Formats: sequence, C-alpha cells, structure tokens
Amino acid sequence: MIRPARPPSSDATDPTDPSGPIGEPIAPHHHHEPLAERSDHPIAIAVDHVTKRFETGGGRGTVALDDVTFGIRVGEFVSLIGPSGCGKSTLLRLVSGLVTPTAGTIRVNGLGPLEARRKRQFGIVFQSPVLFDWRTVDANVGLPLQVFRRPKAEIARRVRELTEMVGLADFRSHYPWQLSGGMQQRVSIARALTFAPPFLLMDEPFGALDMITRDRMGNELLQIWARTPGTTVMFITHSIPEAILLSDRVVVMSAHPGRIVTTVDIELPRPRTEAVRESAAFYRYENELRRMLHEAEGAHG
Amino acid sequence: MTAPDRPVARPRLHRHAAGGLAWSLGILAVLIATWYIAAGLVRLAGDTSAAAKLPFPHDVVVKMIDTAPTLLDAAWSTGSRAVVGFFIGLAVGTTFGVVMIQSRWIEYGLVPYILASQMIPLIALVPILRAILKDSDLVRLYVTAYVTFFIVSIAVLRGLKNASPTALELMGSLNASRWTTLRYLQFPAALPYIFSGLRVAAPLSLIGAILVDFLGARNGLGYLLVASLSIGSSQSTLLWATLVVSLFLGLLFTRAVVLVERRMSFWQPAFRDPLR
Repeated sequence: MIRPARPPSSDATDPTDPSGPIGEPIAPHHHHEPLAERSDHPIAIAVDHVTKRFETGGGRGTVALDDVTFGIRVGEFVSLIGPSGCGKSTLLRLVSGLVTPTAGTIRVNGLGPLEARRKRQFGIVFQSPVLFDWRTVDANVGLPLQVFRRPKAEIARRVRELTEMVGLADFRSHYPWQLSGGMQQRVSIARALTFAPPFLLMDEPFGALDMITRDRMGNELLQIWARTPGTTVMFITHSIPEAILLSDRVVVMSAHPGRIVTTVDIELPRPRTEAVRESAAFYRYENELRRMLHEAEGAHG
Repeated sequence: MTAPDRPVARPRLHRHAAGGLAWSLGILAVLIATWYIAAGLVRLAGDTSAAAKLPFPHDVVVKMIDTAPTLLDAAWSTGSRAVVGFFIGLAVGTTFGVVMIQSRWIEYGLVPYILASQMIPLIALVPILRAILKDSDLVRLYVTAYVTFFIVSIAVLRGLKNASPTALELMGSLNASRWTTLRYLQFPAALPYIFSGLRVAAPLSLIGAILVDFLGARNGLGYLLVASLSIGSSQSTLLWATLVVSLFLGLLFTRAVVLVERRMSFWQPAFRDPLR
C-alpha cells in the first residue's frame, strides 16, 4: 500500500543535472512502457569486452570477470543472476566507478563510470542496508542531499515524499536499530532515490531478508519503480523467481571466471500481478533460467 | 506492510540504574566498615604512630569539614587546570588522529613517536618542564594535555577506521569529499572509541595534574598531600581528607565523560534499551 505521491510539478528538471533542483520524477500510477516499445530506447549502460582481474598475493591474480559485454537501455529493469563468484557484484562496482576494469570499456550515458559517479548518476542499494545508526530514518534518507549541500527546505520536502513512498511515514523519527530488516532496506531504497538518480544499482538488496518479506519487497520495489519513470535499474540477485518478477531482461552469468552465458527477455505484462506470477509463462521462464544456470555450472565444473 | 512497531523515538537509558546504585552504595558500606575494622585493629595493637597514620573515617569527615576552604581551593587549582589540559589534549589528539587517517605513510611515520612520547616517565619530565616554563599552572596544563593527547590520538585513529567498507563505498558513490565523509560517517562512527579513550584519560589527566603539584608546586591537591606528609603524623588526617577529595574529583570527571557519551553516542548497542 504505497500512498499516492504528488503529481509532477513544473519544477521538474533534468535529473542528471547536479546543479539544478532535484525535481519531481514521481508520477502517480504511471506504468513503464511495454518492453517492445522500450527496445528502441538509447543504450544507457554499455559494458564492452570488460575483464577484471584482482591481484592476489601469489602474483597470478583472480579473474573475476572475463570479456563481458552487455547493454542496458534507458528505463529498463535488468537483472544479473548467477552463482556466487560470477562477478556480478564486481560488475555493479565497475559500472558505478567504485572499481576500475583491467581491460575493456564502460560507458554510462556516454560518460566514463568515474565521470558519471561525479555527476551523481547512481543510487546504490547494497545487500546490507548500510544505515547510519546515529541518524533517524529521516536523516538517513536525506543523507545524499546533505552531501550535495541542498537547501534544508528541499531536503525536508524530498525526505517527506520518499519516506511516504516507501511506506515509512510513521517511522521517520525512529533510529535504524529500532526497525525490522525489511523496513531498514526500505530506508536504504528511499535514500538511493532521494536525489532522483537516473540509475538505481541494487546489489542483492533483499538477499538478507526472509522469504515472505522478500516477496513483498519485490512487489513494493516494482511499485516504487513505477513512480520513478525513466529510472534504469541494474539488479543483482541469485533468486530466479525474483529476477523474473522484476525484470525486462535477465542476464545469466557463470562463475570462475565470471562470464555472461545468455540473456533472456522477460515478455510478461506489467504490472506483474499475482495472476502473472502464477501464469504458465512465468513457470516456463523459471524452468528455462534454472536449466541455463545448471548448464553453465556444468560447463565450468 | 509491516504492522507498526512500538513507536519509540529514543531509547530509555538507566533501566537498571536504581539496582546498580544500590549495589554501589552496598560496596561503599563494606569498604567503610573494613576501614573501621582496620583502624580499630591498629589501635588494639597499641602502636600509636601507626594509629595516627590510619584515622577513623569519621575523623577524616570532620577534618574535611574543618578544612573545607583549603581543600576546595586546592581542588580548584588542580581540577580546573586538569580540565583545561584535558580539552587541549582532546583537541590535539583528535587533530593527530585525523591527520594520521589521511595516509598510511603519515600513520606509520607518526605512531612510533606518539608511542615513544609516552615512554618518557612523567616524573622526570615535570622538573624539566618546571625549569623551562617556570609556572606551575603551565606545567599542569602541559602534563594533562600530554597524557590525554596520547590516549585520544590512538582512540581517534582506531575509531576512524571503524567505518564499514560498504558505508565508505556509499559515500564514494555520492562522490562525497574526504571532509564530508569524515564529518558524516567516520567521525560519528569513531565516537564510541573516542569516549572509551576519554574515560581512561579523565582520571589520568587528574593524576598528572596532582603529580605536578607534588613536584614543587605551591598549591593544589598534590601540594596538600606533600605538606601533610612532611609536617608529620599529626597531619595524616588531612592527607586522608585530601585523598578523598581527589577521589571524588576523579569520579566527577569520569562521570561527566560518561554523561556526555550517553548524549552523543546514545545509538551504541550498549546504551540501547535492553528490551528491544
């Protein structure tokens, strides 16, 4: 039960412009366009023949990612799925410029990852909520805007909107350690969205939650995404149903070294209701992805 | 969505404070009783000079009331300088910690000297400082700051490293500057460590100041101690009275640090409501 957000107002500006006021990309009851229409959107994240080797003590190093190429279009929701050790988290860190590739190039809206990070293009949600225990829910959600030195009134307005959007309006003066795991992760999602970044990067955000909470959080994330049109999501998971439920496309990876096995378009209608989740098509995708993951494992030992 | 939890804005502290206080007072009663028994035994043994060295607690209390102006004056001379020195040490130590966190090279270069600075026995340092500075108040400030700075700089260094790598990545993803990261993340995360250090530094800074009194000052708690020792056994009650005042002052310092800690780092697991 997400409360209706305010309608788009006239002060909405290019969210990629760090100097302008952070606008109102939150539209009520908006649904992203069907996948077919989005397929001609420009590429937002382009990963081109990227290899990442981590140097270890012995001098040989570990190849985390081996010659990975893929793209994400503007406004797309793409999941990366694979066993642990397939380098999916590394890929997310490469895209956001927290780690640099050993070989290959990455472009984010035409910029290098470091430049894109400097232009505050990324809202990141980690597996652990990474909330600051000394800050209330409000202050945690407002942290990015405080870092960007936005005016107090603007921070207050955005924080109010975002806490409402993630359903934490009654918990704004609570501290993180007074909240359940699911609520903490919702604070973390709200924080990633406060400055309306064009990219939402999520690294197994629901991995530490129990199954019931996890299911509900998936649905809530879709509703939140529906209210922030144009936001491109790169979502990392090791849950097949979660990937299908959320995504326009699922990128399947194998481990040691991390490679892309295949990409599957999820052509299920949105919104992804209970009926969609129980449809035969959903199960076909599930079986298909499971088979691919098993084959990938078999091929690499 | 989740059913609303009990709305709690801030944790309640001191849930078990009353029980703790009862315990403390009980132990105090046992200590005083032991003192009475010891003083009584010394008197029974018939050793008059030993008896003069160990007065009954009530004699000490009477002495404290009789000499209250002298004792308070001494406590002020020593205590006020110790507090100022403590804050100077806190500022210098924090600066050192923040500088050291900036690079491994600075840290590895400075830490040995900071450690070495504490190897010099204070008892040797004080006469040298007095010869140079020629003023007891300045020496007291220097010594208390010197003791505090060491503890604080090590605690700040350790505490600033307490921020989780993911939290640092989060600040990095926001392109936060070094200073912003320090201010919003590393410094608050360091507070528990800093306060642990300050709890140790508070009584030590007072002991440092008393040591300065001891070694040639003309006033202060340490001066009273030396004076009552040298005047003779008749003044041993004053010695005990001075010790009790020093003890209270030390407890007051530590208590003040704990109170500020509870306000500033209330979010620490140790201070949270135990029922949540």
